[in-house]
Amino acid sequence: MDDLAVSTRGLRKTYRTRRGKRVVAVRGLDLDVPAGGVHGFLGPNGSGKTTSIRMLLGLIRADAGTMTMFGRPVPERLPEVVSRVGAIVESPKFFPAFSGRKNLELLAEAIGAPRSRVGEVLAETSLGERGKDKYRAYSLGMKQRLAIAATLLKEPDLLIFDEPTNGLDPAGIREIRETMRSLGAQGRTVLVSSHILAEVEQVADTVSIIGHGRLLASGTVAEVIGGAGKGTVKVAIDNHEAAIPVLTEAGWTVRLDGGYLYVDGAAHPADVTRRLAERGMYVAELAPVRADLESVFLELTAGEGLGTDEIKPGPRGGDR
Amino acid sequence: MIRLVKVELKRLYARRLTIIGIAGVVLITGLMLFATWRSARPLSESELQQAQTQFEQVHSEWVRSADEWKKQCERDYASAPDPKPSIAEYCSYPEPRLEDFGRPRFTFADTMPDLLYGASYLLAGAAFLIGASFVGAEYSSGSLGNWLTFEPRRLRVYGSKLLGALLGHVPVAVVTLALLIGGTALIVELVGNTSTTSGKVWGDLLAIAGRSVVLAAVVAALGSVFAMLLRHTAAAIGLLMGYLVLVEGVFGGFLIKAQPWLVRLNVDAWIKHGTTYWVDNCQTMPDGIYNCTSLEKTVSFGHSVWYLGIAAAVIVALGALVFSRRDLT
Ligand SMILES: Nc1ncnc2c1ncn2[C@@H]1O[C@H](COP(=O)(O)OP(=O)(O)O)[C@@H](O)[C@H]1O
Ligand SMILES: [Mg+2]
Repeated sequence: MDDLAVSTRGLRKTYRTRRGKRVVAVRGLDLDVPAGGVHGFLGPNGSGKTTSIRMLLGLIRADAGTMTMFGRPVPERLPEVVSRVGAIVESPKFFPAFSGRKNLELLAEAIGAPRSRVGEVLAETSLGERGKDKYRAYSLGMKQRLAIAATLLKEPDLLIFDEPTNGLDPAGIREIRETMRSLGAQGRTVLVSSHILAEVEQVADTVSIIGHGRLLASGTVAEVIGGAGKGTVKVAIDNHEAAIPVLTEAGWTVRLDGGYLYVDGAAHPADVTRRLAERGMYVAELAPVRADLESVFLELTAGEGLGTDEIKPGPRGGDR
Repeated sequence: MIRLVKVELKRLYARRLTIIGIAGVVLITGLMLFATWRSARPLSESELQQAQTQFEQVHSEWVRSADEWKKQCERDYASAPDPKPSIAEYCSYPEPRLEDFGRPRFTFADTMPDLLYGASYLLAGAAFLIGASFVGAEYSSGSLGNWLTFEPRRLRVYGSKLLGALLGHVPVAVVTLALLIGGTALIVELVGNTSTTSGKVWGDLLAIAGRSVVLAAVVAALGSVFAMLLRHTAAAIGLLMGYLVLVEGVFGGFLIKAQPWLVRLNVDAWIKHGTTYWVDNCQTMPDGIYNCTSLEKTVSFGHSVWYLGIAAAVIVALGALVFSRRDLT
């Protein structure tokens, strides 16, 4: 099972809030993250992404379910695999009064990495000179880069980034995206969570979409998109009025939009052409509609509402 | 594990609050030495003069009236309430001595233990503060969660932090006490009275200092545990203060019988190698007079060792249990 970097089955977590209310944050999550490449872990705010990641890392205890990383059951055998896993959960967190370099030196020493590695990872994340400044004085982008530098101290096979671009400016977002892409290209596995789809669509090889703490869809980006947009065909034809009843008779739904007919429900685009040709109508243009991740996402999560039932994510969302 | 402890020690000494705390302790030690120097100076001409005058007044009074006081006292003795000391003890009026007047004469053997007791509490207080913030800061910055993604074995993390706080305070306490003892010895050597300083005195002093070092180190570790349990430096300090003031200060005052189970008294017994406390024994006599006598009781050193040892072990174990199961969100 070493071809899966991460796998969970029936993972559950219920929080008890201060007022004694119970919030089911993750309800039976089955997640598979293949080894190698970038895997997008998508879901709206409050859908349980951070909670799942914390459970994987042993920061919080699952109520039920099993988890493996590189085939090892975790958290039981987490110590065996932790040196292969670098993670940033929510925002980067370091000692504010120490310099970036000092923070990394302490971590490097704790895991027995050579001290020279600190200089290397600072250079790799272009922090170089700024390493000696206090962490407190860093911009958000620099903090994020320092956090990535920290994960690289281990030279990990799996990197877990939880909403890494939150709050970054466009340049920062692009930087992170490129870092993820290059880490994936090096044969490492990057598990990146996000509620912003556009961000992940460009770099992810595979994605999992969750809502309500449950898996809604997973596969390659093409599969997930194809699956959702299946059967929608865009047709240009001279005589709409005549064509529409022909198509509806076949049991398909038809919508006219911007001079095009959108036909839903056909098993194959060829069926549409054949049907029309039988009645002596010929299409001028025909294309299967490729849904983008955004619409897939909305479609999948439409019935799910946002996040959990119990707590409506406020302005701060589920990220606390 | 050793590696982790080393990292924690480095972190401890890199913290600003540690440095400020140590600087504060050293500063107060300096003030104590200054005060010692002031009181160790031999009496000045005018101070001697004053003492002499006072002594002469009191002495002449004594020569004139001692016999009369004694007779009066012996007459009153019969009506004094029981229990009472013997009549000789009850009515002794010893001759005043010149040494008892003016600023007290300063001797190393008498003064040094008190200075050490004071320094012990100072060190323990600073140690608790530094130890609590050592771990409390990790909660408030959130870096503890990050740390655990590098070393997920909770008990190791816990143990290394406690050991870091504990071991880190040993040199601090040793240096502070060495400064205090060395400084005082030097002052006394230069200006004071070393006549009563024997080998035994030195042995006792070193034993007090040793116990004081152990106290500071353990208290630092306990400060870390408190912060670990409460996730906050201020909460840890608040809990300790609240406990000492409310439970020990207020309730302890009412519950006289509970005295040997108070932390403060046991800490005292630990440092001083046994200590005493007073119990008021009140009863209504057959003749209807309500009468109280104070009885002096001891808390032995052995008692304090058991008491404090078990209390510390329980707190450390509780911290380990809680931290090993805690959700870090
Ligand atoms: N410490 C906590 N105590 C109580 N509820 C929490 C806690 N952390 C998260 N939650 C709730 O659990 C749900 C999932 O949160 P989270 O895992 O942070 O979602 P995401 O990372 O996908 O935004 C949300 O409804 C959130 O409000
Ligand atoms: Mg989150």
